[in-house]
Amino acid sequence: MGLFDFMKKKGISIAAPVKGECIPISEVADATFAEEILGKGIAVKPAEGKIYAPADGVVSTVFPTGHAVGVTTPEGVEILIHVGLDTVQLKGQFFRTLVEENQQVSKGDLLLEADISEIAGAGYDTVTPVIICNSSDFSEVKCMAGGQVNVGDEVITCAK
Amino acid sequence: MQTFNYTITDELGIHARPAGLLVKLAAGFKSDIIISKDGKEANAKRIMALMSLGATKGTEVTIKVEGPDEGEAAKAVEEFLKANL
Repeated sequence: MGLFDFMKKKGISIAAPVKGECIPISEVADATFAEEILGKGIAVKPAEGKIYAPADGVVSTVFPTGHAVGVTTPEGVEILIHVGLDTVQLKGQFFRTLVEENQQVSKGDLLLEADISEIAGAGYDTVTPVIICNSSDFSEVKCMAGGQVNVGDEVITCAK
Repeated sequence: MQTFNYTITDELGIHARPAGLLVKLAAGFKSDIIISKDGKEANAKRIMALMSLGATKGTEVTIKVEGPDEGEAAKAVEEFLKANL
């Protein structure tokens, strides 16, 4: 048990919603994410297109285009999962949303499916930012620096 | 208080990028800035709330600005909407 374990217990744990390679948000090729305009977070280069709930919570937003979903935890952490960059332009093509707004979800529930090979084939970067939209409500938003992640692995810890 | 209506003309509506940029702008003002659609209200300083409005093309939203710099804030928000949404 090191100091990090202690802090992990104290903070609110946010898990990887998709399997892949975790990268710092600053490395995402879109200034809106890289400059943290939407908040602090990480991004995953997805190895597959199944996107799962990163924590228990309520689905706070589902984009009509299916390319992004928001989950708000009971502690008030507002998490945005945005599948790919500029994928709003696909207008729903290659995305299938499996949840509705205001629906309760548990960590690990399937939220949406994206055909990432088709999305990449259409010329889009499939990197998937996971953002804490209300980062300023927390004293610390600790983000994993990198490495391979599986669905459910902790990638962000928020402390009040 | 300053109030005005705006109809979204951007084909993609208030998605992540415009929401982020609007929050960045709104955060620069002291006034409370509320955007509402069909009775659903969103604080323009909160990204998730803005995205949850589901303001797509053709949607009319109402903007209410109240506070010490409301005139300036309302003008800036209106300009932002016209330029981006």
